[in-house]
Amino acid sequence: MTTFIDYLLGGFSSGAVIALFALALVLVWRSTRIVNFAQVGQAMFTTFIAFEVQQATGSWFLALLAGLVAGAVLGLIVYALVLRPVQRLDTSGSIIATFGVLISLQALAAMIWGGDPHSFPTPVANEGLEIGGRIWPISWYDVLVYAVTAVLVVALTLLFTRTNLGLSMRASAFNPEVAKLSGIRVNRMLAFGWALAGVVGAVAGVLIAPTASLSPNSFDILLIFAFTAAVVGGLDSLIGAVAFGIGTGLVLALVTGYGEAGDAPIIVLILLAVTLVVRPGGAFGRGKSRAV
Amino acid sequence: MMPTWLRDSRLLLHAPLFIAIWLLLSRLNVMVEPLMSYYLALAAMYATAMFGMVILVGLSGQVSLGNGALMAVGGYVFAVTSLNWQTVPLLGFQWNAVWSVIFAGFGGVVAGLIIGLLAARLRGPYLAGLTLGIAVGLPSIAARFPGILGGSQGLMLTVPYPDGGYAADVAGTAAAESDSAALDLALAGADPVPADAASGSSDMLTPSDVTGSGAPGDMLTADDVTGAGASPSAEPVPVPSASSISATPSGTVTDAGFVLEQWQASVSIAVACIAGFVALNLVRGRQGRVWKAVRDDPIAAALAGISPAASKVSAFVVSSLFAALAGAVFAQILTYVGPGAYGVALSLSLLVGVVLGGRGSLVGAVIGAVLLVGMPVVVSNLAGERGWSDQITNNLPTFLYGLLLVVVVLVAPGGVMGLLASGWRRLTTRR
Repeated sequence: MTTFIDYLLGGFSSGAVIALFALALVLVWRSTRIVNFAQVGQAMFTTFIAFEVQQATGSWFLALLAGLVAGAVLGLIVYALVLRPVQRLDTSGSIIATFGVLISLQALAAMIWGGDPHSFPTPVANEGLEIGGRIWPISWYDVLVYAVTAVLVVALTLLFTRTNLGLSMRASAFNPEVAKLSGIRVNRMLAFGWALAGVVGAVAGVLIAPTASLSPNSFDILLIFAFTAAVVGGLDSLIGAVAFGIGTGLVLALVTGYGEAGDAPIIVLILLAVTLVVRPGGAFGRGKSRAV
Repeated sequence: MMPTWLRDSRLLLHAPLFIAIWLLLSRLNVMVEPLMSYYLALAAMYATAMFGMVILVGLSGQVSLGNGALMAVGGYVFAVTSLNWQTVPLLGFQWNAVWSVIFAGFGGVVAGLIIGLLAARLRGPYLAGLTLGIAVGLPSIAARFPGILGGSQGLMLTVPYPDGGYAADVAGTAAAESDSAALDLALAGADPVPADAASGSSDMLTPSDVTGSGAPGDMLTADDVTGAGASPSAEPVPVPSASSISATPSGTVTDAGFVLEQWQASVSIAVACIAGFVALNLVRGRQGRVWKAVRDDPIAAALAGISPAASKVSAFVVSSLFAALAGAVFAQILTYVGPGAYGVALSLSLLVGVVLGGRGSLVGAVIGAVLLVGMPVVVSNLAGERGWSDQITNNLPTFLYGLLLVVVVLVAPGGVMGLLASGWRRLTTRR
């Protein structure tokens, strides 16, 4: 029983990061109805930038800040250069374009920083805490991860539900034409959505980098996990993404704890497939009638 | 009276065309040096898989990233059957490589049916995400079975040679290879815990474990695969899987007749020609029109008596069949199957090839296949002249693929074939 609890506690930390990546996917989906398959690629790239800053200054918080800025800028660049023109095209076109961005970012990172994994330092100790004479699978770093995730989720929720900006963003995504007529600068709102997603992804990248090593391909698997979490959560719902992101982390922790690490993607694949078969539009998505 | 299927399939017209292409390529294969044969083999293999992608992505409109995993199905069926079976089950014939290829195709059809039934309900990003999950998850199933599937190490194969007709050193290398394969198997059997399971003890997801090979940031380029291919002074390849891939016999490049690369190329060419023939008949025939009708307007197609679901599933089955055949050929070219060789990078490179060549065109698939094989060669030649580092050279082709993917989607959604067609139209309308 104690091992079970240990596995679950261990899963929370990875689940929090998956939740952040899923959040980034949801933010982009809400603003432009595109699944940004390049999201983890962007996060990987900005994490490398954060890594450079960390190496140069020795400060983890400066690195995080640099990652945030780079994430926003990269999100805007990808949106302006690639996705805004692609919106005129079919869905296949936008999917393929995001994969193009993913491939070239990974190759670019490999050209600049090489393919070997880099170890990213943590600002606080990453060893299990000892409480009541027992070492728990939670470190101060995990506590930091929870805190950052919680702050981000609360901030985003407040942004969307309590501010004019959030209302404008929701309006632009919901009905661009009407939003435009009511004086909202729709394109600016969509770009802001992408920048916001870039920031969330960048935070997730910096947070996961110490535990997963940092290399051009090391976040690939997170894309699958985050996509699964976002889809199961309905792609539209911030809360759904967070809940199922953490849920995915817990499931993975149990699978890798009791089984083998290599089983994780298969279990997630089964989870994804079952969800999509039962609810082709995502488990908690607002049901939208399908023609065929 | 000509039966309808015969008239529809244009069998009489297309068969001589493909026999001519086959003869031409086979002749080319024995004329050029082994390295070129090797590239020919790779290009024909890519083309086979991409014929399926043309049908799936182009005609049926389903963006799939899982075809690399379907190639893995073919490769593994080929490897396991040719390593373990001496006679054909039920039929009792003597086993040979052709049977393995047939069974690989059969495996592909079954896998395609299962995935197609899942996928037919999905649209756009959901489908892409599911197939991406398949591309990541399916090859890692192999790591779960270290015994029969070789675990994350993969399985070494010997290329099934026809009787006689080979230089002595070919046989020598083959024997040496089968020894190493036996050794590999023995190792895999003796050690029930594969390397990745041991390192996966941390509480965090360990993506490197899962992706296994992941040649950092690069696709499976011809360079990785050649390794020892025809240049004896091959530079060491940094990736474990690629180093086992590079165990392609280097001593076989002799001037004594038919060499290994030429044999591999001749198999690859034959499979590609058969696949191309079937694909062209399907695309030009009734089924091609059905796929396009469902892609363009599922409701109208349904009103016309076409089942959209059946159309989508059939596109998956056909593309999966071609992918599995290509996977079997790929296993022969690498003389190896392993989770790393059939990773996400392979799936993505298939998508790149199809988009660059032209999403709906079989000729475009061939152009895409040539681009996939040619680009790394051109880049590495340039790198040799300019003195670029390996880090640049190995990743530049992938970077260019990604860039081209975006540019093509934005500027020329029809790919190379689309550009050619519009250029031709402009030329002809001016006059």
